Amino acid sequence: MQTVQKVEQVKHLPLKFGEVARYVIVPGDPNRVPLIADSLDNSVHQGQNREFNAYKGTYKGIDVSVVSTGIGCPSTAIAVEELSYLGAEVFIRIGTSGSVDKTAKKGDIFIATAAVRDDGTSKQYMPIEFPALASHDVVGNLIQASKDLGIDTKVGICQSKDSFFGETEPERMPVAPYLDYKWSSWKKGGVGASEMEAATLFTLSHIKKIRAGAILAIETSDKEIVQDMTKIVLESITYMEGSKNVE
Amino acid sequence: MSNSNDIEKTGGLLDNDVQYHVQLKQGDVSDFVILPGDPGRVEFIAEHFDSATLVADNREYKTMTGKYKGRSVSVTSTGIGCPSTAIAVEELANVGVKTFVRLGTSGAMQDYTRVGDKVIATGAVRFEGTSVQYMPIEFPAVASHDMVSALIKSAQKSDLTHHIGIVQSKDSFYGQHNPEGMPIASELLQKWDAWVKGGVLCSEMEAATLFVVGSYRKLRTGAVLLVAGDQAKQESLTKEEYKANMTESINMILESSLDIEEGS
Repeated sequence: MQTVQKVEQVKHLPLKFGEVARYVIVPGDPNRVPLIADSLDNSVHQGQNREFNAYKGTYKGIDVSVVSTGIGCPSTAIAVEELSYLGAEVFIRIGTSGSVDKTAKKGDIFIATAAVRDDGTSKQYMPIEFPALASHDVVGNLIQASKDLGIDTKVGICQSKDSFFGETEPERMPVAPYLDYKWSSWKKGGVGASEMEAATLFTLSHIKKIRAGAILAIETSDKEIVQDMTKIVLESITYMEGSKNVE
Repeated sequence: MSNSNDIEKTGGLLDNDVQYHVQLKQGDVSDFVILPGDPGRVEFIAEHFDSATLVADNREYKTMTGKYKGRSVSVTSTGIGCPSTAIAVEELANVGVKTFVRLGTSGAMQDYTRVGDKVIATGAVRFEGTSVQYMPIEFPAVASHDMVSALIKSAQKSDLTHHIGIVQSKDSFYGQHNPEGMPIASELLQKWDAWVKGGVLCSEMEAATLFVVGSYRKLRTGAVLLVAGDQAKQESLTKEEYKANMTESINMILESSLDIEEGS
């Protein structure tokens, strides 16, 4: 059988083979990477290129990477493609988001089961009828971890958009009626949070046969809430690693 | 589940009215309903209850209600396709149903989904026309997390060969079975190839609308699809195999109902 020679250095991420853990936490903001990595043991800054900032450490003996995606699905797709190429298998996004149908309010933590594909990138992978679903297993472990830690969370569908200001100031956009109509549908249809990366992360996870999830803070980026989300994610990783060993 | 007081009721019918198509009123059905497509399968499903009575039979909608291990359960057929499924789900929700589990047959889409396997759907490809008259196409057709978990637990307990993942919902049965014969052959073939690459497990005709209407009306939804045929391998279940596999699927759903608190 012919073996494909893999290149050692990927094009965008400051990482090579052997430098990425099986579990990767993917925030959007490169400046949030060290804050998340603070919760790891022996964390090492591996480098930064463009919006992709990479740390690696351990949690309860399990290797965990933290790599930022930058804002939006285009750069997220690049990060997910290159990380999975380098061997990452489980991706959990930690992000901030807006509230949509008001079931989740400012200061809440939201676990996404699926995403509205209001982005352009996922359509360049899969026809639009395909659902952007988080991994059932990752979602279950995030819910369990939040319960065990006594941290309240909401669970539901998030919306992934490409235009930040199209959400915050739709009236000034030339396509204002279109944005209003869509937004009112998401509100009525039971969408809890609005963010900018999950749809592509989830869609790609089905193509790449990796597992993905997302945990979002509603309308805040307080340090404490990021730390709470990090705790939930790291705890869920220990469950996933545990069940892997049982298998 | 959260209340749905803010939902406008279909056709202005009141909750305690007899619903137009399913011919059911409050009290006729359990909060937990199994949804097969085929009205001819309703009685067979109800034979697996501890007790059951026929409560309505109109058009493709046949309903029986009874008990399973002390829990109330119902079964209502939806007919083939998303248009009649949406009607069933809306009207059943109007008379108090909170949990909907579709039980259907499907065609294999992956090498590893073999006839006789059970597929627990986490979500569905919206390759159908009904759910887009509810929600824009970007919205994901996703089953409820707790219902999927209960079905997985039940499948594991009975040691059934099962798969967990996305299914495809289509409107044209013969568009799947004979895509080359259709004027839009290139679209059908291209998309099918994309679904396969995206890991879609099997093809059926109702789940996408069940999940989308369920999200909008704050209902709990799930689906179990028995793989009954495999076009690529030219395999299908014999009548006896079909019956035995259906029984396994029915029992799997009934056991999962015990994990869903009555009325919740």
